[in-house]
Amino acid sequence: MSSKSLMAACVVLSLLFVTIGAVWLSYSAETLDEVAGKFGVVESRLWNAPFPDYEIPNLRGNVLANIIVGFVFAMVILGVTFTVGKLLVHSRRM
Amino acid sequence: MMYLLAVVFWFFSFRKARGLSEKQIPLMASLTAMFFAAQMMNYPIVGGTTAHLLGGPILAITLGPYLGLISMTIILLIQALIFGDGGITTFGANVWNMGIVATFVPFIVYQLALRVTSTQRGKFVGVFLGALIGDVLAALCAGLELGFSTTFPYGVPIAVTAMVTHHVIIGIGEGAITMGIILALEKARPDLLQLPKLAPSLLGGS
Repeated sequence: MSSKSLMAACVVLSLLFVTIGAVWLSYSAETLDEVAGKFGVVESRLWNAPFPDYEIPNLRGNVLANIIVGFVFAMVILGVTFTVGKLLVHSRRM
Repeated sequence: MMYLLAVVFWFFSFRKARGLSEKQIPLMASLTAMFFAAQMMNYPIVGGTTAHLLGGPILAITLGPYLGLISMTIILLIQALIFGDGGITTFGANVWNMGIVATFVPFIVYQLALRVTSTQRGKFVGVFLGALIGDVLAALCAGLELGFSTTFPYGVPIAVTAMVTHHVIIGIGEGAITMGIILALEKARPDLLQLPKLAPSLLGGS
């Protein structure tokens, strides 16, 4: 199996995991916020995340949008990690 | 405190990770993306907390714990900055639990198993136990952190019990998945597993 095939297999599995998470499990439900609210804890955000709870702000509850956001950022992570790896190899050669 | 511990581990990890092989980069990137996706498959447990696969054991056993920590840091950073998952103030604690405990512990257990036995069965027992123990200890740390937190509504016993019991089940699953991935890599790309792991000095090796 080539490196490209290995990466392709992981990309397919990533899409599968994101879909399972969005459709059957509750990754988008940030229940800690709800529980904290019941106990009177007020959330103070240091940073406003662009996709809070893995959802697009105007499309909350849209499963397809959740899958797209999750998968796109899995690919972003693939690219970021690839770049970090290249930088680490490059830094050794310097 | 957790940030401080994380900074120490990051410092040594980035230094050690310079020994990364070009051939390891696609595997590192693929597994990191895959376990970011796998962490989305979570389910709620007590007090608003959730349980999910960690990914640290497979990253540590295939690439070594230093690269495992770097991969987990990338996942946790994107989760905190882009999705508000975990958050900025708890980032150090999450790195400690999932980036350090859940990578270094499985790697050490796996290496100890290899010292005890050189058989294929022994190796897989080491992989499985490493993943299971790593997940449970990471969950124990998270339970203690939550239990001692003034904003978490339940005490240490409930937090620790909830986190540990759920992660025993998840650890068994993670152990099985880790064994499966190692087995698949052994058949498809044994060369990747024969590359030097970035942490031989952890157990007194060269």
